Amino acid sequence: MANLLLKQLFLFDPLSIFFLIVIGIVSLPSAIYSIGYMRGEYKRGKCILAAALLIVFVFSMCMVVTAGNIFSFLVFWEIMSLVSYFLVIFDTKHVKSVQAGLIYIVMTHIGTAFLIGGFMILYKHANCLDFFTIKNICQTIPFQTKNIIFLLLLVGFGTKAGIVPLHIWLPYAHPQAPSHISSIMSGVMIKTAIYGLIRFVIFILGVNQTWWGSLVLVLATITCLAGIIYALMERDLKRLLAYSSVENIGIILLGVGLSMFFISINKPYLAVFSLIAGLYHLINHAVFKGLLFLCAGSVYKATGTRDIEKLGGLIKKMPQTAAYFLLGAMAISALPPLNGFISEWLTLQAFFLGALDVTGGTKLFLGLCAAMLALTGGLAAACFVKAFGITFLAQPRSHYAKEAKEVSFSMKAGMFFLSALVVILALNALKIIKLLAKVASVSTGIDIGNMSFSLNNFILTPQIANNVYLSAPLLAAILIIFAIVAYAVYMSFGRQKAVVYKTWDCGYYKLDARNEYTSTAFSKPFRIAFSFFLQPYRKTQKIRESFYHVKSFTYETHTTQVFKKYIYDPVLALVLKSAKAMRRMQPGSIHLYLGYIFITLLLLIVFMRKF
Amino acid sequence: MIELILFGILAATYLLVIVKRMPALIQGFRYQSFFIFLITLIAGLTENQPGLLIVALLILALKVFIIPFVLNSIAKKISVDENLGLLINAQLSLVVALLLTYFSWVFSGMLGFNNGHISIAITVAFSVIFIGGFLMISRMKAFTQVLGLLIMENGIFLFASFLSGGMPFFVEIAIFLDVFVSVIIMGLFVYRINKLFTHIDVNKLSRLRG
Repeated sequence: MANLLLKQLFLFDPLSIFFLIVIGIVSLPSAIYSIGYMRGEYKRGKCILAAALLIVFVFSMCMVVTAGNIFSFLVFWEIMSLVSYFLVIFDTKHVKSVQAGLIYIVMTHIGTAFLIGGFMILYKHANCLDFFTIKNICQTIPFQTKNIIFLLLLVGFGTKAGIVPLHIWLPYAHPQAPSHISSIMSGVMIKTAIYGLIRFVIFILGVNQTWWGSLVLVLATITCLAGIIYALMERDLKRLLAYSSVENIGIILLGVGLSMFFISINKPYLAVFSLIAGLYHLINHAVFKGLLFLCAGSVYKATGTRDIEKLGGLIKKMPQTAAYFLLGAMAISALPPLNGFISEWLTLQAFFLGALDVTGGTKLFLGLCAAMLALTGGLAAACFVKAFGITFLAQPRSHYAKEAKEVSFSMKAGMFFLSALVVILALNALKIIKLLAKVASVSTGIDIGNMSFSLNNFILTPQIANNVYLSAPLLAAILIIFAIVAYAVYMSFGRQKAVVYKTWDCGYYKLDARNEYTSTAFSKPFRIAFSFFLQPYRKTQKIRESFYHVKSFTYETHTTQVFKKYIYDPVLALVLKSAKAMRRMQPGSIHLYLGYIFITLLLLIVFMRKF
Repeated sequence: MIELILFGILAATYLLVIVKRMPALIQGFRYQSFFIFLITLIAGLTENQPGLLIVALLILALKVFIIPFVLNSIAKKISVDENLGLLINAQLSLVVALLLTYFSWVFSGMLGFNNGHISIAITVAFSVIFIGGFLMISRMKAFTQVLGLLIMENGIFLFASFLSGGMPFFVEIAIFLDVFVSVIIMGLFVYRINKLFTHIDVNKLSRLRG
């Protein structure tokens, strides 16, 4: 293979380096965290195995984002998938892990199959594996072929990223892995798919069709909404976070898709700006989702359960973890002045700027996408109010939560590091945007020399004409002053004596912690509002002694997994059915098998004449 | 002269198709191998190649004497039942063999061999390969599967020697060793299967299916 030279093996451009940084800042604290997390959980040999797998996993991700040709990209992509599969099934005690691993490995290989298809078409045209050579050849590829390549790559990377409806593996696989692995998988691994999309579609293939961007935007919008609605319904803390990852991938893809859209209609400034927004949200999500998964892991380690209906009151038992979780939850809910707010704000700004700049139906389309993003933000806030409130506030709902203790130092250190990053990424927004502009310019091939993102030291003004400003440090300062003033006012005027008394319970006198507000109750309004999508199902059963006295009452509620029920189940049934039909060909007789070979040979000889 | 020997091979192959018992099958294989020995010997003498002569001697030693001897001893060890268990009866098998020969003739034409004895040789070689395969399919006993492979190997040898004037000497030697070892291994397997299941009826092995 003459075209596999060493200098083409690696590629260090700003895009690769950006992703290397993302991998680094999430993997490092997760690795530190794992020291405390794995201790006592598994035997020593298994801990060493976990550490080795972690190293291979992080290494393969680094290699994926720095690969300089298709071949090594695919090889490391596959190593990454396989190692993460082993990490998902690491907890072999649970049957669930093995099942989750199966779903994961099947889905990821379907994705890889699509990728290989796309890459093979690229190779056929370029006759070369090197990224830059292919990039040059790509200008000569006819647009129909490009469309096919784009669709193949979108499905391939979309499976890894967890675009709805290909997200099916994510809520199974992420929660089953050990928490520091969930943090890396959710924080970084699914981002390598975004890297793939940017690298192959924007950088190599070059976007020149408007519908590419539109398709990504539509998918991203659906991903956002479906992800967060499912997250809202979830009561397993880690699955909730996994669904929230689906949502955030949607937000990142909104930025990337918008960028593709603007490239195709030749608006370079907006294209760069949208990509900055997308990349900013990418690094933000990596940090706060990593943080949240580590916190969830701490909760699991301390209580032994991930079911938030059984938790509660942990803020008194684990104050530090609670504080970190709160910070992460605030960031992911896009509350100012934290980093999630800044990137979502930028994405929204990109939409508004775009909507102002285009005409006709496109205006409406971009406006609608922006509206959906706003709705997603609101739902995310509700979701994390639920996650934090039910887990950490009120009284413990079960003995699991009662016996919780604060976690060990190394786990706290991991969480502290990421919390600090959340704040740093928020307060240094302007510098980071400047750096991201370089990354975006390299990936899109647009020169940003004559572009101004209207940055001065404190204030970002993307819409200078409309007097729209953003300054994270200023916001932080205002909020802090506001909080101090409010606290002072409360302390001096509003403070009343605290009265400790039982909640009035209509004379029942037997209220315990199980009567507290639950997560299912919290999400009920949303279940009703989105009933067209969730298709809730409920079953009630009353046993009465008389009309006035109900002896027992059972209440059961589920939501229907629409994508599983209407897409995956029929496909799976079809596959199983055809497999059963194929089984008839396999009666286990050696003669018949030999006969198959013999007949195939004869037929091949007959058909040889045709060619 | 060569044509005569080729027809001898074909006749021996038809003999293999119609026999019903193990010793007869081994005997048929012995005839077939003997004719192949003759053909190699003549080729070696006319072309004056000492390598071919050694190969011919090896055929005589291995395929005419040693392998049939080993097979015979295995057959004796497991001689609960000497029948081969014909899934397709002798007459019908012969018809199939004839059809396969015709097919081979057409096929050798397709390959572009139209002149005289090369064409006949290719036809015979293919017939031997196909009939070997057919024997493996249509006989119940695992024993026939071993012999079927040997017959196919004979056919391949014939094909190679006529198409290219014989394979390189060392390749030839290596193949002989391979065949010999495989006979011993398969013989052992057949013996073990027989001991374990008290029969070597491959048909009944389908119980092992998962």
